[in-house]
Parts: sequence; structure tokens; C-alpha cells
Amino acid sequence: MGVMRIGHASLRVMDIDAAVKHYENVLGLKTTMVDRAGNVYLKCWDEWDKYSLILTPSDRAGLNHVAYKVEKDADLDLLKQRIEAWGVRTTTLPEGTLPATGRMLQFDLPSGHQMRLYATKEYVGTEVGTQSPDPWPDGLKGAGAHWLDHLLLMCEMNPAAGVNTVADNTRFMNEALDFFLTEQVMVGPDGSIQAATWMACTSTPHDIAFVGAPTSGLHHIAFFLDSWHDVLKAADVMAKTKTRIDVAPTRHGITRGETIYFFDPSGNRNETFAGLGYLAQRDRPVTTWSEERLGSGIFFHTGDLVPSFTEVYT
Amino acid sequence: MILDTCSKVAVCVAQTGETYACATDESLLRGMLRLGRKGIPAGCVNGGCGVCKVRIVEGRVHALGPVSRAHVSADEECTGMTLACRVAPACAVTLEVAGRLSRPFSRGPAAAASPQSTQMNQRGDERWV
Repeated sequence: MGVMRIGHASLRVMDIDAAVKHYENVLGLKTTMVDRAGNVYLKCWDEWDKYSLILTPSDRAGLNHVAYKVEKDADLDLLKQRIEAWGVRTTTLPEGTLPATGRMLQFDLPSGHQMRLYATKEYVGTEVGTQSPDPWPDGLKGAGAHWLDHLLLMCEMNPAAGVNTVADNTRFMNEALDFFLTEQVMVGPDGSIQAATWMACTSTPHDIAFVGAPTSGLHHIAFFLDSWHDVLKAADVMAKTKTRIDVAPTRHGITRGETIYFFDPSGNRNETFAGLGYLAQRDRPVTTWSEERLGSGIFFHTGDLVPSFTEVYT
Repeated sequence: MILDTCSKVAVCVAQTGETYACATDESLLRGMLRLGRKGIPAGCVNGGCGVCKVRIVEGRVHALGPVSRAHVSADEECTGMTLACRVAPACAVTLEVAGRLSRPFSRGPAAAASPQSTQMNQRGDERWV
């Protein structure tokens, strides 16, 4: 079956204590492990594998790598062949390179972001278990996020120089990893430049997204909440904890997500969102947003682009 | 304001001569936003995104938190470069706006207020490609 879902994101943070406090108290993740190098591993209550977020002490912010989980160990061999046939070099990292994690296939997307694939990670179970479970556990902190859902990567783009790694990534993810396109932004005089894409491997509108930018980087990692009211409550949590809110609760036209954006203490952008939008399927027609309607695609209510939202990333 | 008892110092933007009052426990960026200039970028305000780069020319500041090395190198730091969101003034300060932050200050105060340049500002800042 190949890639199943996003598995984890590894982020650089400049103050590890402040970062752990943020992801625990604002988002509601719990620390599950700390390795000898001081990297902290965390998970959400509704996730069953050992971790979905790695925080790495660093002198800067940003993404180290993003990892997706494949169904079977043999998928890694098959995908290695397909990725290399596509023209992307891979490295196999042996089991134990990351604690509690099996062997990983490592490679760089055309945009330069490091991606990894793995098939096994230590199972620890959700906080409600599998036997006649409660719908949610007691003692959740902050927003009580369910799971790490997707991330958005800013991808180098310079149409004048013929550079468009949004389009390159999109082709790669489709042809080598079997992701499918759900939505896209087409810009330029005749709408021929693919400036942003949303892609899925599950049945949700996006498991990864790419947006064109002067340089590559991380725009945000996103966590799932149940409902619009949970998004409001997440904003309350951010106000209570003096967390820097980037975009107050609103709706995206693209993916239809109900959303709030904010920053971790190192300036990495987070999103908590609700609403699965629609059933994403391989035969569902692709949604296209024009340059004129882009504002509504991003923020449906105001239709206004917020400069900080498109220009600021780590 | 009678309710505002914070001690404030004067912060001068070298390129334009504009001066604003900034509390000694608030960031240079937070104070700068009160200038009301269009297009001052308030990004992550946590030292990670690098859009509010400044160089401290005169005076002293104290750190409010770490600044990303991806945006301020060790050499730059030695010349007084930092991010306005991560430092507060310890006394009267003169700063130079740098990088992305110099854009809103490159238009004169009068030009920044005219409807035409406001529109150009929005279009210029908000294009994706």
C-alpha cells in the first residue's frame, strides 16, 4: 500500500525547556522519551505510536525532517527503487538511528526539505486504549490536540529563473510516492504557474502542502481538533498562556479547514484546525484557485492576504 | 497616559530620524509598531523568522530570548545586529532597520500615508511569486 500517513516532524528549537512547555501546555502533547543528545520526543493523546514530534536543541528554528509511515517494511525497498528511478538519491538509515524506530529511508525533496520513510515505530497505544474506550481521556492540557495531521513546506520558487520546486515536489510526491493532488493555486498571466499545492495519501484534504517562496523553509505543522468550538478554546488557551497568535480563528477556503495559527517559542508556526473538509479521493476532481481569488482561498471570510502569513516562516 | 506607569526610553530609527517611546521591559519591535507605519512586519516575534532585523548603533539593550543563527550570524552579532522582537532597551537607543524591516522605512513618512503608495505597499508585500 505504500505511504499511510504523516509519522513525525523533527523541529529545531532555540530553548528546549520553553519548547517542551509550549507543546505540552498549549497543544496538550506529552513527553514520551528524551534521548542522550537531549532531543525530546512527544505524542498526542490519540496517537498510538511512541512519538509524533521531536524537538532538537539548536541555535536556530526550522524543520530538520518530516517522516511518513509506510505500511510494510518491504514497502521501503520498493519505494527506494521508485524514488531513485525518479532521480532522487536515497540513504537507508539503520534501525535505532532514531530511538524506538525501525530503519528509515532518507532523501531530499526537490525543494531541499529532508523527508524520511519508516515502517515501524514502538507501539504505546492511545490514552483511551482499545477496549471499550472513553471518547477522550481525563487530564488533557491546553488544546488537547488529537494528532499531528500535516505540514506545509515553503518551497523555493523563482519563475523568472525557471525554478519552481512546488511543481517539482508535487510531481515527485505523485509519481514516486503515490500522493494525489487535491487543490492547487495557479498564478501568472495565463494561470500557468503552479504556485501552491495540497496533496493527500489518506482521505483528508491534505497530508502535505507546498507553497512557493523565495527560499525553502517550514511554514507550519498542524494538529487536529474535533470541532470549531475546540478551535475557539485553543485560542483561549493561547491568550491565557500569552502565546503569539498569528491568525485568529477563521476558515480557509482551501481545504475548508477551521483554523488558528500561532508560533512556538522559537518562532516555528503551529496550526490547530478542525473539520476534515471533505472526503479526499484519488478520483475527486482537483480544486483550482486563481491568483484573483487567492485571498479567499487562504482566509475565506475577509478574503485578505495577511503579509506575515505568507512572508514569515522558519 | 495616567494608567501607564512603565518607565520608557526614547528609541530613534537612524534612517528616518523617527523616535518612539519604548518600555524597558518590552521589545523594540513592540514599541516600533506604535509608530503606525504601514508594513512593519510583526512575524513570529520569537526570534525565529528573522523579519525584524535591526542594528543597535547607540545605547544598550537586554535580551528577551534567543535569536536564530540562521538570521543573525556571530559576526553580525558583534556589529550590534539583532532581532527587534528579542531585545528591550536598557536606555535610550538608536537603531538602524535592516533586511526586510528596512522596506517600510524606505518610503518617507508622507509617502507612506498617501493612498497610492499604500496600495502599492499592499500589492508589493502580498504577492506570492
